[in-house]
Amino acid sequence: MTRITLTVNGEKIERDVTPRTNLADFLREDLALTGTHVGCEHGICGACTVVIDGQIARSCITYAVTCDGAGVRTIEDFDDDPLMEKLRHAFSAEHALQCGYCTPGMLVAARDLIRRGSAGDEDAIRTGMSGNLCRCTGYVGIVKAIATVAGDHDVSREEISQADVLGPAPGPAAHDSLQNIQRDAVPPAAEKRRKERVAAPTLASPSDANVQTGEITQDGSFTKLTQTITVNHPRNAVWDLMADIEKVATCMPGVSLDGPVESNHVDGRMLVKLGPINADLKGEADIIRDPENWRGVIDGKGRDARSASLARGRVEYELAETDEGNGTLIAVSIAYSLAGPLAQFSRGAIVRDLVTRLASAFAQNLEARLEGREPDQDAQALDAGSLVFSVLWDRIRSYFARLLGRKPG
Amino acid sequence: MKPVAFDYARPRTIADALELLDARPGAKILAGGQTLGPMLNLRLVQPELLIDITRITDLITVTETDDGVAIGACVTHASIEDGAIGGIASGHLDQVAAGIAYRAVRTRGTIGGSLTHADPAADWFAALLAFGAELEIAGTTGTRRIALDDFVKGAMETDLGPDELVTAVHIRKCGREARHGYHKICRKTGEFAEAIGAVTVEEKTGRFRLVAAGGSHAPVVFTDPSSLFRTADPLDVRSFDVDMTAAALRDAGMNADDYDLRLRAVAMQRAVKEAAQR
Repeated sequence: MTRITLTVNGEKIERDVTPRTNLADFLREDLALTGTHVGCEHGICGACTVVIDGQIARSCITYAVTCDGAGVRTIEDFDDDPLMEKLRHAFSAEHALQCGYCTPGMLVAARDLIRRGSAGDEDAIRTGMSGNLCRCTGYVGIVKAIATVAGDHDVSREEISQADVLGPAPGPAAHDSLQNIQRDAVPPAAEKRRKERVAAPTLASPSDANVQTGEITQDGSFTKLTQTITVNHPRNAVWDLMADIEKVATCMPGVSLDGPVESNHVDGRMLVKLGPINADLKGEADIIRDPENWRGVIDGKGRDARSASLARGRVEYELAETDEGNGTLIAVSIAYSLAGPLAQFSRGAIVRDLVTRLASAFAQNLEARLEGREPDQDAQALDAGSLVFSVLWDRIRSYFARLLGRKPG
Repeated sequence: MKPVAFDYARPRTIADALELLDARPGAKILAGGQTLGPMLNLRLVQPELLIDITRITDLITVTETDDGVAIGACVTHASIEDGAIGGIASGHLDQVAAGIAYRAVRTRGTIGGSLTHADPAADWFAALLAFGAELEIAGTTGTRRIALDDFVKGAMETDLGPDELVTAVHIRKCGREARHGYHKICRKTGEFAEAIGAVTVEEKTGRFRLVAAGGSHAPVVFTDPSSLFRTADPLDVRSFDVDMTAAALRDAGMNADDYDLRLRAVAMQRAVKEAAQR
């Protein structure tokens, strides 16, 4: 618990909060100021909009602890505000609300828009209010109400600007109750989990001339992509390596196995890093091999316990001889689907590129294995995330180099 | 939709922040939290410690330098929108700032936080790549300066080390005759853009930077984009070749479908048009 001191609606408040408590919950649960509504809880809908040191902000993604020393105003504090009074009447007259859930946020944001002189015409109002969602009215009444009030409000200069504030409120000058690091009560299980760290995966030196990625398609919840990998080793050697799942697993960045393969079944995990997101997918895979046709199928699924996200994947490969039997063409098709928060947050193409990149890294590592090298022999130790675009980036750089008539640096 | 339990620290100096970052590998920097907040609430990010850097005075500054301006990492989009960086680029960057998300987000979101997160759809990323901006980075072993082009390694991937912190953004003052264009395509105002085109042209110095960004693909910077025009005039919009540009983006390694590539090429075309009209 952390002691914070702040002013809420003109009243000085001193309370203990956990660092993870957001301002909206603090206002509603601790101070019983339930006029602030919580809608999406991730900064999209605007229902929780409040005023912090004169500037509107989303109270669901602002943590109460960061408001130590700040002055917060919620909808309850605007009863006697002349501009808000006009807005209230206009909202009633224009039917700018139905269920009322979005209304506190709408009013706080609308008042700010008018004060800043940014409600000049319908276009400006619609743009300025686009951060507040309403699911009842279709916005026509809201826009009309704001336009009516904006029409007879004289904007005064001192109301408008944040140019002299520079940083997020309350800033360095504010009162600070905090002395040391403030600890949340951490459940023992979480503490234990934190101690388990997964070794960063590794990658062979990036050169992917032998990997071709085909078109990416969508089939229901599954994203599919194909790759062809050419290696300078006979088909027999490749086939034998593919039988050794433990070795194959070391070729996949971020993958580790929990035990030996038993009756074509194996348990393991895959660590994926994407920006600030770390997904640790724990799961299992089934392996089917069809020697007559030089084909194999690996079916896997995993769950990230932290985010409760699920991933499913199916890798099919087929080996064909090339270069008069000296080389092998590996045709790989990958299908995967994600469900849960990870899927919700990650925009499709980021994951698509990650999978493509992982597949390319896998191919390079496989070739290293075939040459009898450890996959990480020439590798920089990288987390899976930083693999994502490095090859693409290299290609981009060499493209510019071509444009500029220089050799890639 | 509640974050996991985490510790919270509020250092007052860059040195203290770095010390914490170094001592606690599970720490995350909080520079405004307008992207991190949602990710925390969704439990996609589960830090041990949040280091709130918004009360470090040295990060909340706008300083004129010999060749431009240095913007502290914790300067908000809203203050730039309201004119905090003065007349750099004739208010072009003020307009870019005004187009970021929504006012209630801009009041807390910071330029350093946005660049560090390196979302390819983020506005600062594309706009400042076109400016050839540089970042100042502080680490436990010292400070360094790096071009934004080199800082970005891809979508949400940067050159920033685990014990480093972006402290400032340096923007070079362009000549009076410099022209800038910025265009983003998104379905809803304030959303992360599906495609962004950004351009800076300085005829006097011959500097010409054209950026394709947005969506989820690593941005592409053309530092000599003349081959994308059918005539030699870089501001002759009619000669900007959308098909050729889409193909060039594909050649550059952008693994996107035809629609996405074309969308970016069109955003670039509109940015060039905007620059030409200034």
